[in-house]
Amino acid sequence: MSKPVLQIENLCKSFTLGKRDINALSNLNLQVNAGEFVAIMGPSGSGKTTLLNVIGCIDKATSGQVLLDGIDVGSMPESQLYKIRRDKMGFVFQTFNLLPYLNARENVELPMEGKIKSKTERKKRASELLAMVGLSGRENHRPQRLSAGEQQRVAIARALANNPAIILADEPTGNLDSQNKQEIIKLLANLNLTQGTTIIMVTHDSQAANHTERMLLLKDGKIVKEKEGLHLAKKNNKCPNCGSTIQMNDETCPACKKPIFSSDELFST
Amino acid sequence: MAIMISIPAGVLANQQTATDLASNLSNTITQTGQSINQTLTQIDCSLASSFSGFGFQAPNSTNFDRSQLGQSGQGSGTGRTFDPSQFGGGGTRGQFGGGAFGGGQASPMNQTLYNDINSSISGVVAVEPILQASEGNNETMSMFGRTFTRQITSYTIEGIPLTSDLIDNYPILTTNITAGRNLQAGDSGVVLLSENNSAYFNADVGDTIQILDQDFTVIGIHGTSSVSDQLTLYMNLSDAQSVTNNTGYITSFRVFAQNSDVVTQVARSISSLHSELTVTTGQERLTQLQTLQSTYNTALDSAQASIGQTQTTAFEEIIVVVAATSLIVLFVMLYTVRERTKEIGTLKAIGFSNSTVMGQFMLEGILLSVIAGVVGIAIGIVAAPALSSLLLPSINLFGNTAAAGFTRNVMPTAAASVNLELVLIAFGASVALGALGSLYPAWRAAKIRPAEAMKYE
Repeated sequence: MSKPVLQIENLCKSFTLGKRDINALSNLNLQVNAGEFVAIMGPSGSGKTTLLNVIGCIDKATSGQVLLDGIDVGSMPESQLYKIRRDKMGFVFQTFNLLPYLNARENVELPMEGKIKSKTERKKRASELLAMVGLSGRENHRPQRLSAGEQQRVAIARALANNPAIILADEPTGNLDSQNKQEIIKLLANLNLTQGTTIIMVTHDSQAANHTERMLLLKDGKIVKEKEGLHLAKKNNKCPNCGSTIQMNDETCPACKKPIFSSDELFST
Repeated sequence: MAIMISIPAGVLANQQTATDLASNLSNTITQTGQSINQTLTQIDCSLASSFSGFGFQAPNSTNFDRSQLGQSGQGSGTGRTFDPSQFGGGGTRGQFGGGAFGGGQASPMNQTLYNDINSSISGVVAVEPILQASEGNNETMSMFGRTFTRQITSYTIEGIPLTSDLIDNYPILTTNITAGRNLQAGDSGVVLLSENNSAYFNADVGDTIQILDQDFTVIGIHGTSSVSDQLTLYMNLSDAQSVTNNTGYITSFRVFAQNSDVVTQVARSISSLHSELTVTTGQERLTQLQTLQSTYNTALDSAQASIGQTQTTAFEEIIVVVAATSLIVLFVMLYTVRERTKEIGTLKAIGFSNSTVMGQFMLEGILLSVIAGVVGIAIGIVAAPALSSLLLPSINLFGNTAAAGFTRNVMPTAAASVNLELVLIAFGASVALGALGSLYPAWRAAKIRPAEAMKYE
């Protein structure tokens, strides 16, 4: 049984908008175990991004408790929170948010700057991470020379830089075409499978969400529904199509011969 | 930054000017004081000057041709203004300048008329007759829309009697010989040039020069021991009389009294015997010097005031420049922070601390300022003289009271130049101003909340 990497209890978050108080999150409870791949879905304004921001320590809860790796981050001052963000979190944004004047490798190195002193070591790790997301040889390219999908890969590599406990992805496929969307979801799923990276992904896209192992539906600041995703079957070495046993590296199911991942068929499920 | 570097350069140059000026003045006063102390027994006698401006006099003239004088006196460009023959023949004596800039013109007088001084006044031990005459060109200058003509002296001939009796016993020769030798008893056909003369004639020791169409051998060069002898060349009195066509005439004579106690008495006796003479004792010259010294002091005070004013203006201008620089950095950095809100949010989300973000933006502000500084310093180095004269009040050390010749000789020109120290200070200032101007924008950047910054497009 994996240990919980994130525990949220009675989380409330309210904003004041003009004279009205808006409860973005109300009494939300959530536990995510290490190595899980979770999707958070819900209509606009349901509190998805707010929840992700609170988990990512870039926004503060109004009340309730957030434990990250057992640490209560809610009571932490900003002077320590940045270390949590740097060491425990990896952010992937819808708009990639790469620094345009840095090349791919330098972008990936950014989060390591406060942590790894040796520049050579940072360089080496950044290159390894870029290779891991399939961008070998593109290290010196600046974001404007990369496609949207490639930019998001760089962003994912950057999120992995400090070997975080959780990767928080906010609509990571929102700005991508369907081809790249599949690639990125596949990349995240593979990272989860092979590296055991915990991923919490906010998405509008039900197809993308389907490829996680647990889907949460958020409405009015509460989790109203929870559902298993296709990724769970794969994690349990079962073909999501026919249920027969598969190997981790299999691209197609040996039994039903259907592609295990990134098939249009799967995405239309 | 060009302004910041030019203004101090200008101030420094002005200070340097004042320092040079002060040292020139005090040197002159010391030199003159020394020469007077050596000659306290000395009494200068000359005919009273009828005026002290530029121009020509022809006293003793029996058939004085006024139209010719007028022609000569107003001159025509560079025409020689010396030749006595221009004033008609007979007893007409040539025009005489009274030393370069030292106390107006002296009129020529018949040497024999004053033979009685040596013989009939007790307490007189020696009389040194002197002939002094200046040669120069007319210069036309325009000032305030009016045209003036003035004579620029090229050199002044001073004829002194080279007898061993006078030379051995009285300080009639200049003492500051820088090349060759001094005049000696019996010297004739030789001349002792000043350094200015040497340059004017382009002649050195041993060379032969032409003075008023006569050949002279340069026997030595004398250094300047007072402002008034910068243009003076010395020769035998009889040579001077002959070359200026003034045989038998002198412009002044020095009477040496037995001792300083009788000087006043001797001077009175000379005055009563020859009331037409202006008689000046060493003591009187000392008093004159003191008056001069107080004029110098006034001039120095005025220079100080001028520099004070310059510094105040410079200070105000630098304040304005510093404020402007900081404000420019401030606004540019505020704009930058605003433009890069999302980037700042990203940096904070991926684990940059507030202080790192703040440092980053401070560094950018400093870098911006330093780049501007380097460009400014480069411009400043090239344009400092022009900029500083544009930005600083022009230094007026003597007001309108200064004698043109005097200021021309001793007043150095203020030219702003940039030194390494100034460059380093300006560089330091650009770093400091960059830091100052980017402080608030950087703080704003550090305080950006990432969750909100992410929504910012």
